Amino acid sequence: MVDEDRHAGVAVAGVGPWRLALRRLRANRVALAFGALFAVLVALALAAPLWGDLAGTSPSRNHLSDTIVIDGQRRDVVTEDRVPIGPTWRAKYFLGADGNGRDVAVRLLYGARNSLFIGLTATLISLLLAVTLGLLAGYLRGWVDAVVSRGLDVVWAFPVLLLGIALGVALARDGLQIGPLSISGGSKWIPALIIGVVGAVYLARPLRGLVLSLREQDFVEAARAQGAGPLRIMVGELLPNLASTVLVFVPLLVANAILLEGALSFLGAGVRPPDPSWGTMIGDGVDLLTSAPHLTIVPGVMLVLTVLALNVLGDGVRDALDPRATVRPER
Amino acid sequence: MHWTLRGLAGALVASMVVGLAACGGREKNKSGEISVAVSSFPDSLDPALAVTAEALQSLWVVYTPLLTYAHAEGAAGARIVPGLARALPRISADGTTYRLKLRKGIEYSDGRPVKASDFEHAVKRILNLESVGTPYFERIAGAGAYLRSGKARGDISGIETDDSTGAITISLDEPYGPFSNVLAMTFGALVPSDTPFENQTKRPPAGIGAYKLANVRVNRGYDLVKAPGFDIADTPKAQLDTIAVEVVKNRGRQTQSVTRNDLDYMTDPPAPDQIRSVRDRFEGKRYREFVTNSTYFFFLNHRLAPFNNKAVRQAVNYALDERALVRVFGGLLEPGCNFLPPGLAGYEKIEPCTYGDPNAPPDLARARELVKQAGAEGEQVTVYGTGEPEAKGATEYFADVLSQIGLKGSPRIIPSANYYATIGNRRTRAQAGFANYFQDFARATAFFSIVDGASISDTNSTNFGNVDDPQIDATLARADRNPSAEAVSKDYAAVDRRLLEEAHLVPYGNRKLSVFFSDRIDFDDCTAWHPVYNLDYTSLCLK
Repeated sequence: MVDEDRHAGVAVAGVGPWRLALRRLRANRVALAFGALFAVLVALALAAPLWGDLAGTSPSRNHLSDTIVIDGQRRDVVTEDRVPIGPTWRAKYFLGADGNGRDVAVRLLYGARNSLFIGLTATLISLLLAVTLGLLAGYLRGWVDAVVSRGLDVVWAFPVLLLGIALGVALARDGLQIGPLSISGGSKWIPALIIGVVGAVYLARPLRGLVLSLREQDFVEAARAQGAGPLRIMVGELLPNLASTVLVFVPLLVANAILLEGALSFLGAGVRPPDPSWGTMIGDGVDLLTSAPHLTIVPGVMLVLTVLALNVLGDGVRDALDPRATVRPER
Repeated sequence: MHWTLRGLAGALVASMVVGLAACGGREKNKSGEISVAVSSFPDSLDPALAVTAEALQSLWVVYTPLLTYAHAEGAAGARIVPGLARALPRISADGTTYRLKLRKGIEYSDGRPVKASDFEHAVKRILNLESVGTPYFERIAGAGAYLRSGKARGDISGIETDDSTGAITISLDEPYGPFSNVLAMTFGALVPSDTPFENQTKRPPAGIGAYKLANVRVNRGYDLVKAPGFDIADTPKAQLDTIAVEVVKNRGRQTQSVTRNDLDYMTDPPAPDQIRSVRDRFEGKRYREFVTNSTYFFFLNHRLAPFNNKAVRQAVNYALDERALVRVFGGLLEPGCNFLPPGLAGYEKIEPCTYGDPNAPPDLARARELVKQAGAEGEQVTVYGTGEPEAKGATEYFADVLSQIGLKGSPRIIPSANYYATIGNRRTRAQAGFANYFQDFARATAFFSIVDGASISDTNSTNFGNVDDPQIDATLARADRNPSAEAVSKDYAAVDRRLLEEAHLVPYGNRKLSVFFSDRIDFDDCTAWHPVYNLDYTSLCLK
């Protein structure tokens, strides 16, 4: 009874919103499990070079005319019909080879690095752009709001994939040159930038709406009365209040970015060969769908698992940060 | 009773004999309609414009030029024979004048008589429509002046025709030995003189051939219908009533349809992941592979580092593993080191291959050593290729080979539609890349035109590697003056060897194509593979 009072009364009264959110998240076992799954995928991606050393190859090394001994039998890595070897469940060709005799497991892990790099980088770009635009449009209103909102409308009007393909193809050849910023056509920064810009639209709009409502709150009025300028109010008062909304969006943005990267790479407008990504791996496997289904299934499963993990984790984060959720004190 | 039984028995035997005789004597009906799938609609169905293999396979049996190729398999099919002309041309001693005479009494498929002056009209259409065939026909005297005049109905001074006698005299600016081959291209096929100076794909003009075009549905399909009045000596007539050609983009679907006998023939090889099962089940019964008159190679840009160094080019040749590329092409590649394909005058198999046996492992150690000696280690090389599965696989493989010998290769994949314009543009500065060539006509000249210094240009260059070897240029200039390819075959063979010795490029084989038929087609007797136009539609018949 004493313990219950201590927990129920003192704990709830003295816990901040972030700690409360963390507590709610910890109570969500499903979200935690999928969060752990995502962590495992990240760890696997980081371990790609180790697996490459173990398999004795690199993600781009072709082994078209090589042979391998399995159960005492010498077999072609790729037959003359271009049918690659399937999973061997050994270090070499653990998940089989692709049509060019490249080790699928090695490519899968390096592909994970690329997909995650692009997913995370694109999300950071989206956040940076969306928060800036949302704050400016929502707080300053007037012509700034009009310009930003119409700009977002224009980008919004394009189908995301089509816009991504158009930008991807256009920038693939000569890269991007804006002042001192120079990115070569084959760089992974190109798809990251494209996806980041496209993704920013989806976050900037709700953030603008939120800022519009926050700017009328008393604490903003108080800051203004104390002589705080627009920049200080935006950064010091409004930005911290956007944090929970932004945090809810992060896993979902990463998941969307990875999916979009997969789609763009599948269509040849994302990661450039011979760099692997799950999308390019699926694209390469389509022509051999019947004879070597592992080429599409394996990266497809990885893509699904990653996106699923991020979405469930994202749901958990949203539930945890939602102030309408019921607080259950620890027992 | 005895008589009755005997009578009945006799009647039974007699009826059986008559029945069997009737069965044995009945002609099998080999005509009828078949369905054919193509992966894409031809670039054009206008003979003045069509250039792709898909188009020419059909147009060859619809539009017969003055000269044509024999309807035969193998090297015999590369022999030029009279088409609408009565005989092969009489060529003047200086090689600049070609005299021909039209066969008597020939008519277009719409019944109109063929006139000698129709040839000049056909050439004017080529020039006016800026056809790919223009460079070949610009060799005719006065063709340049005609173009400059801007008058479509103007005169080409180098072509003289007489409709009453059927005489056609063609004068060239300078001797061009392969001009008979040019006259055998479908570009120059005769069309009625009122055929407009615009692309006639939607309503193809009447022609003279075993089949005529009908029911054209742009981007969807067309029919080849038997031309009943077609009768030219030594040129086969159609055996089928109709060949219905339909665009089916998915090769997997085409393969399944032919397998199930829902489709009678597919022009492309089966889908990559179905080749094995098709081979296993139908090889020699409904499926066969042929080596085409084509060459597959990687070009190396002589004007850019590191391939401006012969040692590096040789290193690349030493490092290439043709066995790997055979796998990339799913077995549909005949490995070899000649640039010229077999079956052409001038082809002499280079044996042993200068840089090692194509069927043995490559000499990577020697290649690395050469790159090291040349001081090219670590040099970045972008390898261009298209997104087609085989081309992409070959490009990625080649980039990896470069990395294995000390260079830093990275592939750059370009959409097929823009590929050759991109690598043929000097500003692209393409260092190396995938390339292939299917003959425009059956003479070595066609192949060597892409390594002739004269073919280098700033845009739309076909000499992607900027090969500019004075010895090759001089040999070709001399050989190409001779109308007889056989007479200069040694010159062509010398150029072929020189290309390899100087490592001007990296040839690795000739493409194989296949025919895959339904059970309805008479596979054993009615499926002739032509060296220039692939499957000969006039050979097709039903069982």
